[in-house]
Amino acid sequence: MALSRRTLLAGGLAAGAGLTSGCAGKPLDTLLTQAAHVPRTPATLVWWVPEIPSRKGPVVADLIIRAFERRHPNLRVRKSNALSATDANRAAVTTQLAGAAPTPDVYLGDTTWPAQFGANSLALPVQTLLPKDFWADYPAALRRVSEYHGAVYALPFYTDSSFLFYRKDLLAKHGLPVPRTWEELLRTARRIQRAGDAAYGFLWQASVSESLTCNVTEFLADAQAPVLDKAGGVALDGSGAERAFALMRELTETGVTPRTVTTYVEADSQDAFTGGRGVFLRNWSYAWGNAADRSASKVAGRVGVVPRPGFDGDGPRGVSCAGGWSNFVNPNSRQLGAAVAFARFCAGEEAQMILLKNAGVIPALEEVLTRPEARRVGDPTLTRAKELRLVARPVQTPYYPQVSKALYTQANAVTGGRATPAQAVRAARADIRTALEGRAL
Amino acid sequence: MTSSSAASSSSSAASSSAATVSRGPDPEPPGPRTGPAPRGGGPARVSRRGRARTGWFFASPALLVIATVTVFSVLFSLLLSFADVRLEYGGFRILSLTGDHYAAVLSSPEWRHALVFTFGFTAVTVFLELVLGTAAALVLERLGAARGWVLAVLLLPWALINVVAAQLWGYLFNGTYGGLTWLFEQLLGHQPDILGQPASAMGAMVVVDVWKTTPFVAIVVLAGLMLIPGDVYEAAEIDGAGAWTTFWKVTLPQLRPIMAIAVLFRILQAFGIFDLPFVLTQGGPGTATESLAILGYKTLFQNLDIGRGAAVATTTAVIVIGCCLLFLRVFRTQADEGGRA
Repeated sequence: MALSRRTLLAGGLAAGAGLTSGCAGKPLDTLLTQAAHVPRTPATLVWWVPEIPSRKGPVVADLIIRAFERRHPNLRVRKSNALSATDANRAAVTTQLAGAAPTPDVYLGDTTWPAQFGANSLALPVQTLLPKDFWADYPAALRRVSEYHGAVYALPFYTDSSFLFYRKDLLAKHGLPVPRTWEELLRTARRIQRAGDAAYGFLWQASVSESLTCNVTEFLADAQAPVLDKAGGVALDGSGAERAFALMRELTETGVTPRTVTTYVEADSQDAFTGGRGVFLRNWSYAWGNAADRSASKVAGRVGVVPRPGFDGDGPRGVSCAGGWSNFVNPNSRQLGAAVAFARFCAGEEAQMILLKNAGVIPALEEVLTRPEARRVGDPTLTRAKELRLVARPVQTPYYPQVSKALYTQANAVTGGRATPAQAVRAARADIRTALEGRAL
Repeated sequence: MTSSSAASSSSSAASSSAATVSRGPDPEPPGPRTGPAPRGGGPARVSRRGRARTGWFFASPALLVIATVTVFSVLFSLLLSFADVRLEYGGFRILSLTGDHYAAVLSSPEWRHALVFTFGFTAVTVFLELVLGTAAALVLERLGAARGWVLAVLLLPWALINVVAAQLWGYLFNGTYGGLTWLFEQLLGHQPDILGQPASAMGAMVVVDVWKTTPFVAIVVLAGLMLIPGDVYEAAEIDGAGAWTTFWKVTLPQLRPIMAIAVLFRILQAFGIFDLPFVLTQGGPGTATESLAILGYKTLFQNLDIGRGAAVATTTAVIVIGCCLLFLRVFRTQADEGGRA
């Protein structure tokens, strides 16, 4: 071949070097100046959005797009369908953004992404474009997870909060109250299980994934054991952390939770519950819609929703991991002004009311939850959202994925009976430290 | 990938041999092919050059695609594995070139764990598939008329897309409603946590891979069996060899080259296993089934650790190339010894 291997090698390296030098960065000030102005000329935005849970009826994203286009007749928004699995979604969107692609202009992402995306310049810092009192109307936990080093990388859209779902009929049959503590829940579940009324007592999520990190965050918060300290160092230690891990172990050891919970993600636990096999379920707010849907649920009409229990004593109750989705602006967008306008519209009252009326999620704007429309929807997760004590995952580090992995790997081992609570806390502490130092793969 | 390693060891020899090879397709005398017999050497050279030009013309789109998709991406990934990359607004910047990523990767417990799992998985599945595939091929060869049907059914798992197969088995293993879990529950009296315990999760992974890929080995070996001339067996029969001796002394040595190809293919695939653990266990429980490919994916796309992710990918490629070269060398030595004996 005239094209020798050496030529190919040299050519490839030269092309690589050329591409590298061609990808020099842009100054942030220029981008922010562009972002401050909404264009008057026609423009089309691309919005990367996964399916928003909906209470049947029209597609929620389309309703919001139509409302935005009515306000901005010169702007069009095109939907780009994102994947529903969070991690796969991140892989897809980061590949596109790291290659400096101008689309999607706005993308809906998980609330765990801001620090990592901000540190890697994959999202536009928008704090200078927002009014000073912008965050006053949104949950404080949501603000904390959207910021990194004083910059805001995500605009609130909707929150996911976790609740305890329970079988009203089974509790009534045994004359038992809704448990307010974990100890009480264990007793209640065992009694109903022993009577043969349900195969499983309490269903949750313990597979090696982000799902488990959310569960662990909640159990740790119940036991008042923080993962990170104020300075961002590792804090996980002591009797509180062991108490939380010990509860996870006790749940599977006593058979209240099936051992297979170590492979459960949200859908698995929800399927078991709506199939009538469980007494209690920990899941996100959207599960209420599914459990109440007569075509998909065997237990529709027999399900109650309360905030999660706490530990015996005077610890917190109603703890919920702050989950949810926010809009991020692609810094490489060719229509930065329009993109910021759209992301802000999604956080604003009109879009939030559309979410309230149509979507099976909790709007981020807290004020809309107090409206009479909220009660008319008939979804208890909306009206009880105010009772929750939202806790953030340790996301304020660009190494959050590694920290999360350190937590869920050890929690999975404890739940599966492969480590004692004390061993797991020690190992998780060591692994989190390695992660925070940027040494974990 | 093998070509680049060959190029580094003896690049001039490699390129000159490549040049010879490229002239390979048209060394035959041009006379009979080019219609009327050409007079002298002149017209023949022109037509050969013309044909070469046509060849280049037709091959160029493919070459371009290969150059951009394969060569460039492999080299770029190699570059990234040595680079300290920072993503920034409007693109990325390479800050410096270091070997730090390799040091970090090779010394990390995560990588060593993934390496051990990947090696173990490759060794066990390739061995099982070779034994079972050969056995299946021997049975198939004797089937006669029914062979076509049996072959078609046998090949079904191989025809399935990996992700679909993994999802299918995921349903069977599911702890709540899985068919296999139910079956075990009936037999053992308790519900086993198949994908939730390290040993059984690894076992399940092996079972699915063997189920999926044995047909491939079987059909390759079957092709080899069909190529063995009948008179070899006649000679063996005349010498009084029994069925077992015939298999060990006649069939197996004849099959060796084609088995080597099957094994080589399987090593390459098994070492890069991604879809199966990704769908079945996400690398769990804990990190029990985290293969090198999964680790590389998580490092690069979840952690956005570009340099280290590329280093994981490169080390994986180097190891699998090394394994294949080692296998070929061992196999060749054995074949030579076999020939001499």
